[in-house]
Amino acid sequence: MEKADSIKIRLKNVSKHFGAVKALDQITIEFAPGTMTTLLGPSGCGKTTLLRLISGLETVTSGEIWFGGENVAELSATRRDVGMVFQSYALFPHMTVERNVGYGLRVLKTDPSEVSERVGQALKMVNLDGYQKRHPDELSGGQQQRVAVARAMVLKPKVLLFDEPLSNIDSKLRRSMRDDIRMLQKSSGITSVYVTHDQAEALAVSDEVIVINEGKIEQQGPPKSLYHLPQTAFVANFIGESNVIDATLEKDGNSKWVVLGDTRVQLPKGKKVPAQEGPIKISLRPEMVHIKSESKSSMAIEGIISQSAYMGPVMEYSIDTKVGSLFTRAPAYQEQYQPDDKVYLHIHPEELIVIPDAG
Amino acid sequence: MFTSNTHHALVKTAPGETRPLTILIWIIAGFGAYWFLPWFALEYGLFDATIEEYLASLGWKTRPLTLTVPVFLALFIPFAWPWLPLKRLGWVYTLFASAGIGLIFLDFIRTGEAMGFSAAVVVMALAAIFAIGIAKIGFQRGDSFISGAVVFVIFMVLVFIFYPVIKIFNQVLISRDGSFAPFQFFRILTSFGVSRVVFNTLVLAISVGAATTLFGLIFALYAVRATTRLRYAVRILYILPIITPPFVVGMSLILLFGRAGMVNDVLMFLFGPTGIFTAAGSEGIFERSGYIYGFTGIFLAQTLSLTPISYMLLSGMISTINPSMEEASLTMRASRWLTLRNVTLPLIRPGIANAFLLGMISSAADFGNPLVLGGEYDVLSTEIYFSIAGAQLDFGKASTLGLILLFLSLAVFMIQKRWVGQTSYVTVTGIQTAGNVTPLPKRMQQLFTVFISVWLVLVGVLYFSIFLGGFVKQWGADYSLTIAHHRELWMHGFASGGWPSLKNSLGYSFIAAPFTTMMGVLIAYIVTRKQFWGRGVIDFGTVLIFAIPGTVIGVAYILAFNTPPVELTGTAIILIITMAIRAMPVGIRGGMSALSQISPSLEEASLLQRAGSAKTIRSVLMPILRPTIVSSMAYSFIRSMTTVSAVIFLATAGTNVATTYILSRVESGDTGVAVAYGSVLIFTMLCFTFLVQALTGRSRVEKQVKTQ
Repeated sequence: MEKADSIKIRLKNVSKHFGAVKALDQITIEFAPGTMTTLLGPSGCGKTTLLRLISGLETVTSGEIWFGGENVAELSATRRDVGMVFQSYALFPHMTVERNVGYGLRVLKTDPSEVSERVGQALKMVNLDGYQKRHPDELSGGQQQRVAVARAMVLKPKVLLFDEPLSNIDSKLRRSMRDDIRMLQKSSGITSVYVTHDQAEALAVSDEVIVINEGKIEQQGPPKSLYHLPQTAFVANFIGESNVIDATLEKDGNSKWVVLGDTRVQLPKGKKVPAQEGPIKISLRPEMVHIKSESKSSMAIEGIISQSAYMGPVMEYSIDTKVGSLFTRAPAYQEQYQPDDKVYLHIHPEELIVIPDAG
Repeated sequence: MFTSNTHHALVKTAPGETRPLTILIWIIAGFGAYWFLPWFALEYGLFDATIEEYLASLGWKTRPLTLTVPVFLALFIPFAWPWLPLKRLGWVYTLFASAGIGLIFLDFIRTGEAMGFSAAVVVMALAAIFAIGIAKIGFQRGDSFISGAVVFVIFMVLVFIFYPVIKIFNQVLISRDGSFAPFQFFRILTSFGVSRVVFNTLVLAISVGAATTLFGLIFALYAVRATTRLRYAVRILYILPIITPPFVVGMSLILLFGRAGMVNDVLMFLFGPTGIFTAAGSEGIFERSGYIYGFTGIFLAQTLSLTPISYMLLSGMISTINPSMEEASLTMRASRWLTLRNVTLPLIRPGIANAFLLGMISSAADFGNPLVLGGEYDVLSTEIYFSIAGAQLDFGKASTLGLILLFLSLAVFMIQKRWVGQTSYVTVTGIQTAGNVTPLPKRMQQLFTVFISVWLVLVGVLYFSIFLGGFVKQWGADYSLTIAHHRELWMHGFASGGWPSLKNSLGYSFIAAPFTTMMGVLIAYIVTRKQFWGRGVIDFGTVLIFAIPGTVIGVAYILAFNTPPVELTGTAIILIITMAIRAMPVGIRGGMSALSQISPSLEEASLLQRAGSAKTIRSVLMPILRPTIVSSMAYSFIRSMTTVSAVIFLATAGTNVATTYILSRVESGDTGVAVAYGSVLIFTMLCFTFLVQALTGRSRVEKQVKTQ
């Protein structure tokens, strides 16, 4: 598929109210051209509503939506030139694959020969060339979803929208489909918005991730920065796993220290911290905590294993410490600990995540 | 486990297995009935019989000794032979019970007497013992409750469905003078009148089917998708024709459009020979004529009455369409209209086919409207009635026509099951999808609004005329208001006027409703959950229950129960049973739909906790099914109150019901009284419906009716 002219999507002060309920409040976002942005958040946070506002299936209560240089907020979905992939695939069961994919082309009164050609191209893109005559109930879930993707893309829309497309796919299949979707999006260059509640999926698939909570944006940025530099405790908890610990910030001249229970950890120079000393929240990713049976440095937290689980490639441990119960993982080929073992958790200061918003 | 090959009668029994005490109770009941209840049917019923008649009917003098033997033996066996193995015990019960039943029936057939209460109770007791017996042999894995239920249901189906239908076949093959005449069937078939009648019925059925489907679709789309306030009116008012006796709509059409009709008067006034718009000397463009009688009237009346049912079917289907599909269509540049045409309508195609076939069957089975409005247009249901009720008394003809109607109905029903049952595009996937319902295209909504408003106004006027008609002295001639009609019906004491029939209607319906629902749910339970030998009987019986038109049941019951051994005509019992059978599809469908949503694992969990089937059903299923049962009973009650096509054959002066009373007044020309009664009936049903909906929550009755 040739690269389309990618457009920038802009939402300005978009609000959506359902009666007294404010599902979205004054949202302003920019989606860079040609990128895949994921809206991530728990159920009911408003991400699907936002997606549907972009699609035109819902209308904004107030605000503007710009596709490139055009304000489309008043346009219905039929006129907005978007393609959408639904969670339930939404393939028409009474039509063949070909008629499904070619539906939009026929609506636009395209020449039949061109229709079959473009349908063939679209199906080839998703590796389903030859399936034209099949019916949706003859396809597996993964195949149905691929047809849905082909159908969304065949009209070369300005914007591509994905509404939790992989939720109903077997977990084994999810990874390959995810990669396929990403590849298609990249090669086509269509600006895309993707909704999911699975944060691992979000990190894998996106150029940018927007974390939404209760109708408001918590943080927006590339996956790496969301993972390593979460701005709020919510983001820290939602993306990846983390142990959020209450700690105290101490400043000693030019150096900064974090006190975790009995342990004092010196923070590296570049680490951003709040201006004042006092209580702060620290996030420790499970894989950033290294378990050893002896204390090998001063920056180690003492603890006792309360639970250990063998997961195959890793061991998962719950460890009771002075700063609370911590959750960590360690490769299974290393020493495997049992409950009631005394261990020491070693932290590297660069890996500490300081959460700026203590709220 | 408790069950083993050696079994002591007094040992603790396994769950589901019948305790010996239960068996003993059945034996004693049968025995007591045998000796102390009337063996032969009493001429004037139990309460009107004299002491001599009662004693004579006990039949002690004529009691054949052979019948006491099996009863005695069954009584003594478990106690004289406590070490009998379980299976043997089962065989003993089974054999003696069936022998007993067989002997009793043969004896009655031989002597030509009619069975009385005693015989019925004894047969029932023996059937219970039979069921317990086969359970002990291993039927249904020893579960005597289910075994009993199966035996009971099969027994009911055999006696009250198969036996009467066989009698019809029988009648077709035997001519008026009693000789065997198999070719009578063909002679009747090819006689001139009959083919015309069949043709009429078919043409009417197809037209009404098409009309109700189209209009039902319009209403359904509007009620679910429109954005105007009017859609609420549709959702509330559709219930009116359902709770109205069907022929009342026909009557109201006569009130408006008949020769003496109000609208007719207006038209005459404007355009008739002496109308104000007519030029002097000319004949005017309108004549007072009976244009409402015949095809037009019946078509109109049936369409008005039957569209709500089609509406409910289709609106149910539309509501279950996954909104994402229509949204996907919208995002692919399709307008609302294109989406409707290419996506929505094809998805509900099975529902449309279903509605059409249902409309056809209902039209063919309708009796009241063709009777009232038919005029020269004869259809099968009225022809059947006139074959018996008129001077002809030609049971051969009635049976032949009845068979034709039955086959017609069965054929359509089978098509419905085969075709429509298989292709269902609208499946509930269980996936939570966000999505709004796509509204109607603008112009379509405007068009529909106009159409529906006109329709609702017409229906409103019709119902208004019914209520008004009760208070008008002489419709068409003297429009002064009076309460004379109502006075005649209601104010001359409870034993005259409309009270006896109203009391009968209410009483019979009230008794029939719980019985129907229980049977229906039981049948649904057995059919959906259990496999067994003899299931085919119940399956086919159920098909017959669904497909058999009311007139055919009426004729069949006259043939079957007018003569010994089971003589029930003229009693209240036969009416109650008729009502129960007519309303049974409600209970069965409701039960099946409710049970399909309950996972079998619930019952399995209960059974694993050592509860038998009876306890499981009582403690686990009944509470969950309670809403279904309540709404089922309510709807059965409504149906029983408004049924006419079957009861018209069976009601007598003493067992008259509201609907037949109204019809008889119509036939004798007392329109005012008939309409007055009709309005009271409608009002009663409205109150009842609101009461039930208030008590159980709105959606219950609607949901129940929607599963039809």
